[in-house]
Amino acid sequence: MSRKKFDPVTLEVFRNLFYSVAEEMGVALRRTAFSPNIKERRDYSCAVFDGRGRLVAQGEHMPVHLGSMPLSVEAAIRHVAMEPGDMVVLNDPFCGGTHLPDITLVQPVYLEGDDKPFFYVANRAHHSDVGGMTPGSMPLARSIYQEGIRIPPLKLVRKGRVVEDVMALILANVRTPVEREGDLTAQIASNRTGAKRLASLAEKYGRRLVEDYMQHLQDYAERMTREAIAAIPDGVYRFTDYLDDDGLGNGPLPISVTITVERDRATVDFTGTAPQAEGSVNAIYAITLSAVMYCFRLIVPFEVPANHGTVRPLTVIAPEGTLVNARPPAPVAGGNVETSQRIVDAVLGALAQAIPERVPAASSGTMNNLTLGGIDPGTGRPFAYYETIAGGMGARPGADGLDATHTHMTNSLNTPVEALEHDYPVRVRRYAVRRGSGGKGRYRGGDGIVREIELLCPAEVTILSDRRARAPYGLAGGEPGLPGETVLIESDGTERVLPSKASVWVRSNTIISVRTPGGGGYGRPVGD
Amino acid sequence: MGLRRRPQRLPQVNRSLKLVGIDTGGTFTDFVVLGPEGLKIHKERSSPRNPAEAILKGLKQLGLASGAVIVHGSTVATNALLERKGARAALLVTQGFEDVLEIGRQARRGIYDLYASKPASVIPADLRFPVKERLGPRGEILLPLNPAEIRRVAERVEQARAESVAICLLHSYANGEHERALQEALGAIDGLFVTASHEVVGEFREYERFSTTAINAYVGPVVSGYLGDLAEKLGRETKVRIMQSNGGSLSIEAARRHAVQTILSGPAGGAVGGFHLGRRAGYDQIVTFDMGGTSTDVCLCPGMLGRTTEGEIGGLPVRLPVIDIHTVGAGGGSIAYRDPGGALRVGPHSAGADPGPACYGLGGTEPTVTDANLLLGRISAAHFLGGAAPLYPDRALEAVTGLAAAIGLSPIDAAEGIVRVANATMERAIRVISLERGYDPRDFVLVCFGGAGAMHAADLARSLGFEKVLVPEGAGTLSALGMLLADVRRDYSQTLLVPTAALKPGTLDEAFRRLEERAVAELEEEGFERHQIALERSLDLRYVGQGFELTVPYRSDFEAAFHRLHRLRYGYADPRRATEVVNARLQAVGRTEKPKFRPKERRGTKLSAAVLDEIPMVFSGRKVRGKLIDRTLLDPGHRFRGPALVVEYSTTTVVPPDFYCSMNQWGDLLLEPS
Repeated sequence: MSRKKFDPVTLEVFRNLFYSVAEEMGVALRRTAFSPNIKERRDYSCAVFDGRGRLVAQGEHMPVHLGSMPLSVEAAIRHVAMEPGDMVVLNDPFCGGTHLPDITLVQPVYLEGDDKPFFYVANRAHHSDVGGMTPGSMPLARSIYQEGIRIPPLKLVRKGRVVEDVMALILANVRTPVEREGDLTAQIASNRTGAKRLASLAEKYGRRLVEDYMQHLQDYAERMTREAIAAIPDGVYRFTDYLDDDGLGNGPLPISVTITVERDRATVDFTGTAPQAEGSVNAIYAITLSAVMYCFRLIVPFEVPANHGTVRPLTVIAPEGTLVNARPPAPVAGGNVETSQRIVDAVLGALAQAIPERVPAASSGTMNNLTLGGIDPGTGRPFAYYETIAGGMGARPGADGLDATHTHMTNSLNTPVEALEHDYPVRVRRYAVRRGSGGKGRYRGGDGIVREIELLCPAEVTILSDRRARAPYGLAGGEPGLPGETVLIESDGTERVLPSKASVWVRSNTIISVRTPGGGGYGRPVGD
Repeated sequence: MGLRRRPQRLPQVNRSLKLVGIDTGGTFTDFVVLGPEGLKIHKERSSPRNPAEAILKGLKQLGLASGAVIVHGSTVATNALLERKGARAALLVTQGFEDVLEIGRQARRGIYDLYASKPASVIPADLRFPVKERLGPRGEILLPLNPAEIRRVAERVEQARAESVAICLLHSYANGEHERALQEALGAIDGLFVTASHEVVGEFREYERFSTTAINAYVGPVVSGYLGDLAEKLGRETKVRIMQSNGGSLSIEAARRHAVQTILSGPAGGAVGGFHLGRRAGYDQIVTFDMGGTSTDVCLCPGMLGRTTEGEIGGLPVRLPVIDIHTVGAGGGSIAYRDPGGALRVGPHSAGADPGPACYGLGGTEPTVTDANLLLGRISAAHFLGGAAPLYPDRALEAVTGLAAAIGLSPIDAAEGIVRVANATMERAIRVISLERGYDPRDFVLVCFGGAGAMHAADLARSLGFEKVLVPEGAGTLSALGMLLADVRRDYSQTLLVPTAALKPGTLDEAFRRLEERAVAELEEEGFERHQIALERSLDLRYVGQGFELTVPYRSDFEAAFHRLHRLRYGYADPRRATEVVNARLQAVGRTEKPKFRPKERRGTKLSAAVLDEIPMVFSGRKVRGKLIDRTLLDPGHRFRGPALVVEYSTTTVVPPDFYCSMNQWGDLLLEPS
């Protein structure tokens, strides 16, 4: 931590400035993107880094990207000699990415006359399809090679011009290339917006001051995080939660955590967690780091900026070759969306023992990833649609959990029914709160959702979910929430319950009914 | 672009016309009368339980008991919604979608907030009734709505003793047939307020359309009751129009049916007023800046009032064209504090009106922006609200000193720091609406109003590059003035969702023709002749596959205009990429009669006569002697250099040392960096 003196006023001014650059990048991306995941669901993140690639500010976009964006920039710096006007693209989970649909663009920002970058900007967005064995690229795979195109850090833009060879290679490997190209164009524009703003900021305030305050802001976030950790009683706290299975019949899969709090630092050790799985629920280290950072931000009772300083007081031990730090060629599509939620449940479960008055009961704990794909009879062209369905929020100390809301590592929006039916051969039959699914308690867990979609053509349906067997836990005597279920209803009325993770071809007019888990309750129910 | 001067528009003059703008606020009801003898301002204490009382009292005071034309901005709808004191409203909704209003978009606000919240639905679950019917995305009927079903749901609404009902069916934007059938049946129920989503919005995206319609049902009976009562009390001789969120006004009858259109009308009045006065002074590229006690509203007007259809109130979407006002939680009452990381923060917590800033002496002990301004000599304690409300500088000093010690600064440095941090928040708000949308503040004039706007405007102009700041006369009652200048405006829209290349000849003209038929009929009903009605056609376009639209005027080159706007807003465009027409939009404007503004009379006084005193002020850490100037004693043509403080009843203008201040022919103050 640098001891240099800072001015509390200028610090706040710069906090505002850097944050607004990241936010502006996000607005540019969302409003011009083509993937429903980006434009409607807001599954993206934008961030500003210093000249050494350390995070200075990140927009309030997706918590699951919190700790992983810096690792993308680090990988880009390590593998590619970036010059002015260059931009690097990557999605390789084992080299700076998270899971394949998340494509990240990293740009160095050179100031005039400099021979090394003064800033970096980066943005990441969840693309609708990046190839692989099923439309939407969230398959139940056995290796990463089945999950889609894997892009190591490469120059997508060289000296300000798109490298057409690289673009062509990417587009040739995806199902919806026109949409992909549009999204990548939006991502390029977003980075350029950020780079332009940062350059004018350096010109207006002077390099020295900007450089100093990038460091002060990191120290500031570090102090805030230390203060928050210091408020947790010293001790060792353990908890284990489970994923139902990996989609290939293996499970339950334990995620074990031991948190050691010592004054103003904490060690979060995942030793004891299941080895990496055959199915696609493996998380890479960056995801685990994001989940841990998220938990510590959640329990801080004041607003802490997310940057490199936030992570300094935390040590995360994730043994290689486990569910929380998978090695290639493990499949990882579900690690980002499902395992990340369970890591949160495990970490919060451990923290609940230390500070029960600040930790909520378990939320639904799954993003209920639903992918639909086939040939649209209206256009004769392939379609791929992906959505996540919210569940119940765990009850909070002193407040009920919210119903039908995305929690923890995601905050994506739904696709409007009217937009969905206009763009895809489907009809939504029901979209309702799943009453009574929240766990009882002094404070009630939030209810999940019932969403029923009828396919208007033969289609491949993939559900990647969890909390079908094991319920979200209650706390302090509160009851668990109701687990979720996924049911196929054929046109003749026959019903078939699907496992937590499944990929099936269905006939026209089949309804898929997803009933998402409720959140756990908090405190003993009144009257018990 | 540059600062173009535009010729003065001269409205028709009716010598005897008396126009009154009435803005009901939380504390005061403002009256601005524009008649042959000029502008007159009056304030009356508000009567929150029945806002009409203050209006009648004020009109009586002004000798306008009857015969005037009133344009009224009411907060009745807003308060009913925010305080959840609306009607017992029921919802009729396509079966299977009863919870759409409750689920919203599935997202939470504040992703790292343990106590994140979602706004409560205005219609509870037990008043949401499913209807067996279904339309497809092109308006095709998949499940017909039969007469027995209509009777069944009508009975349920009646049994539920609902005061109002919102009819919200999926895909009704493409075909209003089913909603109309229900409307007709429910219209037969005595005293029931009925509203249908295809009439309220006419656009796809069910949550936003249903939410807007549900709000209309929720506040409709309350607004209707209030306006009915007001009209009766004012009598037939007085004509009343109601201010809307879109910057236009509406007849009282129409406002009773479309109550949701009044819900964001308060700040809209200010933006309209600021824009008009900016134009009166000869500028048409304007940013309005309204800084009050708890928040600041800014609005970009590039030659016209900025509009958006992404309005929101209390977290609920209102998908109607509204003045595009961006609000941030920083105002005079915002509290400054040191956070656990050692940074100086300001807001969003506010001391409000009670206890208010520490210097009010009403029990507030935390330092606010107003306290900082007082210590820096940017408020004159003796002239604050005409001296009617005493200020206590020692209380301000005490509050700021505590904070200063915590962050290791002198009290004066801390006070300047508070102002700088508050300015940073407001600077960010202006950046969002200008630079982020491709507009450069250097091409704009900053028009400021509200109690605190003119104290901070010069600093903002300096940091954002504005070359001129306008502080209009009567900046404290600008909302009411904006109201009386508002034309009657109605917005109509129709979702099309057709690729531009696939448009059949005549499709757009046909869509506009239908909207225009409805618009002209409704404006004629409001008493306008066809020649007084202007119709403005525009289109919402996007690249096929995008999720957000840009609005461009409907001309033969609309597609090229879209590419240009996309480049301006987002930095790139791709003319090879296919575009899609999402909505046809029509704005119908009924031009209202407006008396003419008169230039301010020159009294031939000397500038020195307006200088009351010399006072200590602080700028950039330096103590200087500034002139204390009484605005009411200034004459058009007067010009002086800062440091100075210009005082008047409802606001204070700070002129920093490197700024010139002058008064123009209308009595506005103009600040320019030297």
